[in-house]
Amino acid sequence: MSILHVNQLVARYPGAKTDTLKEISFTVNPADFYAIIGPSGAGKSTLIRCINRLVEPTSGTVRLFDQQITQLPPRQLRQTRRHIGMIFQEFNLVDRMSVMDNVLSGRLGYTSTWRSMLKLFSQADIQRALELLERVGLLEHVDKRADQLSGGQRQRVGIARALMQDPQLLLLDEPTASLDPKIARDVMTLIQQTARDLQIPVLCNIHDVALAKEFCNRILGLQDGRMMFDGETHSMSQQDLDRIYEREVL
Amino acid sequence: MSTQSQTQNRQLHWQRYRYPQSLIQFTLVLLALSALAYSIHFLNIDLQRLLSVFGRVGEVLAERYFPPDLAYISQPGYLQSVIESIQMAYLGAILGMLLAVPLAWFAAWNVTPARRWLYPLARLAIMGSRSVHEMIWTILFVTVLGFGMLPGVCALVMFCIGFAGKLFAEEIEVIDMGQVEAMQANGANPLQTFMYAVWPQVRTAWTGIAIYTWDVAFRAATVVGFFGAGGMGWYLKRNVQQLETERVAAILLSIVLLVLVSELISAWARHRLSRRRAGNQLQNA
Ligand SMILES: Nc1ncnc2c1ncn2[C@@H]1O[C@H](COP(=O)(O)OP(=O)(O)OP(=O)(O)O)[C@@H](O)[C@H]1O
Ligand SMILES: [Mg+2]
Repeated sequence: MSILHVNQLVARYPGAKTDTLKEISFTVNPADFYAIIGPSGAGKSTLIRCINRLVEPTSGTVRLFDQQITQLPPRQLRQTRRHIGMIFQEFNLVDRMSVMDNVLSGRLGYTSTWRSMLKLFSQADIQRALELLERVGLLEHVDKRADQLSGGQRQRVGIARALMQDPQLLLLDEPTASLDPKIARDVMTLIQQTARDLQIPVLCNIHDVALAKEFCNRILGLQDGRMMFDGETHSMSQQDLDRIYEREVL
Repeated sequence: MSTQSQTQNRQLHWQRYRYPQSLIQFTLVLLALSALAYSIHFLNIDLQRLLSVFGRVGEVLAERYFPPDLAYISQPGYLQSVIESIQMAYLGAILGMLLAVPLAWFAAWNVTPARRWLYPLARLAIMGSRSVHEMIWTILFVTVLGFGMLPGVCALVMFCIGFAGKLFAEEIEVIDMGQVEAMQANGANPLQTFMYAVWPQVRTAWTGIAIYTWDVAFRAATVVGFFGAGGMGWYLKRNVQQLETERVAAILLSIVLLVLVSELISAWARHRLSRRRAGNQLQNA
C-alpha cells in the first residue's frame, strides 16, 4: 500500500494571478527516497508544504495512509502532522534553546500542554533524544545553545528533531542547500542511512541534480508548477532533464 | 577593455534630486515652515514675555517654595503614602504586563491563534487602553470604585496593557517565522508554539520593555493620587489647594528623587541586559 498519494493538487497563493502548482499527482511508496527537482520558482517548496498544509492547497487531495489530509480540521491536522517529519533548508532550529530542547521539541505533539510548558518530557523521550543525538554524532553538544553550532551540525539537530516525531514520512525542503558540498553529501548520506534503518519514506526537494541522481530512487520534475517528469531515477534521460530546465522561471 | 572605452565615450549622469519629486519636497518643507510661522503669529506669542517668565519663575520659587518643608515629608503618614505609591506601581505593572502578554500574542498578526476574531479583539483592547490617558483612567476608576489604592492600581493596569501590549506585539511581529513553522510542522498546538518558538525569540527584548514600562508606571503612580487614587499624589493635591507651597516644594522634591532613583536602577538593569545580549552575539559570531 502506498504511503502518500497526491491527486490533482492545485495551489494558488492569495492574490496571485496563476496557479503555482498545476494538477500534480504522484504516489510515494514505502521504500521510496523521492526527489522533487526543478528550476528556482518551479513550486518545489510549495508542493512540499502543501503536504503538511503549511500552505493550504486550493484543490485536489493529499492522502497519508488512509487519511485525507486536505480535509482535516485543525486538531486532527495537528495529530497527523506528528507523523510527518520536516527538515528545512534554513534548519529552523530555535536559536536560543539548547540542542536537547530543540530535539525534544519534536515530541510536542505527543506531550500535554502543561507538561510541555514546564519542559517535563518523559524519561522515554529523553532517552530517545540522546540516542538520536548519538546517531547524528552530536552527543557532546547536547547542552549547547543551537546558535553556537555550525551549519552542518545544525542540520543534524534538525534531523534528530524530525526523527524524534517517530515520523512515517519525512519531508525535506532543500536540506543541504545552505551547506558546502562536502557537508551536504555527508548530511544526505546520514538521511539516507537513517531512512533505511528506520524504514521511513522520504520526499525531498533538491536543486542539485547530481545529488538527486545519487541518493534518490524516484524523481519528480517540476517546471513552472507543471509536472514534466515522474519516474525511476535510472529511467530519466538527458532529454527529460533538458525539458525540466528548458525555461528558467525566476 | 570594451567597457572601459564605453565609459570614456559616454558621459555618465546621476542626480540625487529629480524634477517632480524635488519640487514636491520643496513645497512640503515650505508649507511646514509657513504653518509654524502662522501659528506663532496666531498665538501671539510674545518672545519678550516668554523670556521674562524665566525670571519670574525664579523669583516665585525663591520667595514661596523655599525652603522646602523637609520635616513634613519625613512624617510617617507621608512616608506611608510613598510606600503606597510604590505598591500601586508594582501591582499595576505586574498585573498589567501579565495581561499584556496574552493580548500581545493575540494581537500579533503573524502568530495570532485566530486572525478572524482574537486578533481584532486584542487589537481593540490594546488600542482602547492606549487611547485614554492614564489620568483619565484614574478619574474613571475613582468615580466607579471610590477613593483609595484600588482605582489607582486599576488605572495603572489599563495603562500597562496599552503601553507594554503594543510594544510586546511589535516585538513578536518581527521574529523569525521559520522557527514557528518548525513547531507547527511538529504538530504543536498554538500555546506550545508560542512557548517554544515565540517566547525564546522575544524574551530579552520583552525584559527591556518590562523595565521601561515599570519606569513609566512608577512615574504615573506618584501622581494618580491627585485624582483621588491613593499614594503621594493625594498629599500633593491637598497642599496645592491649601497653598502650602513649602510643603508642595518638599513633595515635588521627593517625587523627583524617587523617580530618579527608579530610573537609575532600571538604567542599570537595562545596561546589564544589553551587555548580556552583546555577549551572546559575540559568542554566536
Ligand atoms: N508565501 C508566498 N506568497 C505568494 N507567492 C509565493 C509565496 N511563496 C512562494 N510564492 C511564489 O510561488 C512560486 C513557487 O515558489 P516556491 O518557493 O515553491 O519555488 P521553489 O521551486 O521552491 O523555488 P526555490 O528553488 O527557489 O526554492 C514562486 O513564483 C514564488 O514567487
Ligand atoms: Mg524552495
